[in-house]
Amino acid sequence: MSWLFQFAGGQDLLSLLMSLLWFIFMLLFLIYPTFSQKIQLSYMLRDVEKKLLKLKYFRDEVRKRTINHLNKYSDGNIEVDKGVDRLLGSVVIEPIDRDPYGIMYKLEHIVNTWEETFENEVRALCPKADEKTVKTLTNLVEVARGLDYIYRIIRHYYLLGKKTANIYTVLQVQMILPQVMEIANAYRQSSYAFAQGQPIGDGVGVLAVAKLIDGMEKKTYEIAKDTVVQETFWNGRKILVLRAKGPGGAVGKPGEGVKKLIEAEGDKVKAVITIDAGLKLEGEESGKIIEGIGAAIGGIGVERYKIEEISKAKGIPLYAFVIYESIAEAITPMRENIAKAAEKVVEKVKRLILEKIDDGATVIVAGIGNTVGIGMT
Amino acid sequence: MIPGKEAEKIPTPLTHMKCLKCGTVNSRPFKEGDYVFKEVEEKCPKCGHDKMRIIGIYVKEEKEKKKVKLF
Ligand SMILES: [Zn+2]
Repeated sequence: MSWLFQFAGGQDLLSLLMSLLWFIFMLLFLIYPTFSQKIQLSYMLRDVEKKLLKLKYFRDEVRKRTINHLNKYSDGNIEVDKGVDRLLGSVVIEPIDRDPYGIMYKLEHIVNTWEETFENEVRALCPKADEKTVKTLTNLVEVARGLDYIYRIIRHYYLLGKKTANIYTVLQVQMILPQVMEIANAYRQSSYAFAQGQPIGDGVGVLAVAKLIDGMEKKTYEIAKDTVVQETFWNGRKILVLRAKGPGGAVGKPGEGVKKLIEAEGDKVKAVITIDAGLKLEGEESGKIIEGIGAAIGGIGVERYKIEEISKAKGIPLYAFVIYESIAEAITPMRENIAKAAEKVVEKVKRLILEKIDDGATVIVAGIGNTVGIGMT
Repeated sequence: MIPGKEAEKIPTPLTHMKCLKCGTVNSRPFKEGDYVFKEVEEKCPKCGHDKMRIIGIYVKEEKEKKKVKLF
């Protein structure tokens, strides 16, 4: 025993035990090198788990709100909750891109079919809803579907990481979680906005074109699904305003609209101006207006492709105005500085028309975005 | 599971209305059924005209705390 006491510094039994404890502890790290990693993994898993629970809460809340809201327009015999769950789980299969020839039209075909089916399903669930409400309800279900998808993806990586005890799987999901949580919270607020029919930040493009021709005498007609054209004359120039039909939630088919307009108007069209909300970088101010060249239009790209294709064929310049906002601001109720930007952009568009478009020529001004809560002027 | 406080608040936008007679702009909290450019039958607080037009629906910007921004 004396050698042991010597090892502990020749003191009392307590310090001997302490030293032994330290010794075992250090041995643990020595013979079990991934021990520290295991501790770290459990901490990370706990962090992910906490956020996942919050995500689940968001998803359940949004699902419940969607069902409650749809129930208002449904009748007693329809099982709305089962219908909503079926829609939440539905998928769109993108066309194969190994042979990319004509892929945009295949994509368009699939997306159109999907949108139509989705809308028809919602219509079947809510027989009492009018056309504009069906559009908004469809958006509401889409938001719930988006949030459900986010939740399932994060759950997948959490469970996978836990099952395989793979720190790198968990690390990746933990890394992106702060942004994911921000988006999830935005979805949650967005579902509230759609349920109430409030304008969202993404609608700023539509709001701007509506303000542009507000109070002018005009001719209004539908040109594509949910998409309307408003014809007016201003300072000798013919202005064709293209936007989705409000105040139901719709984005319309601006690409198809521009294509048809240019085909109908021929060579008289001298420019296509698009106004849309765009993603700002962190640190940039919301509601900042950026001018540029090209087609300012988001989404899967079909609409932008169509505008680019027809304008290239006819040699028509594309001008763009982008109003900066964050991804959360784009899908939540519109902020004051974004609403104010709509007025500022109108002045800029008017100046551009006077500068670039000759007297007697035609210009297409397309307001891109979701028109929920924004009526027709 | 109770989610954090930051998740609780859902902003309610204000509906801004302009009187069709005297042009006074008035605002109130958003009500379901409101949309921009809708004409509503509400009394103007100034002249008493009963038709107003919604000119904007948006969330008022929170007053930012005064802090020095480096970037
Ligand atoms: Zn008045």
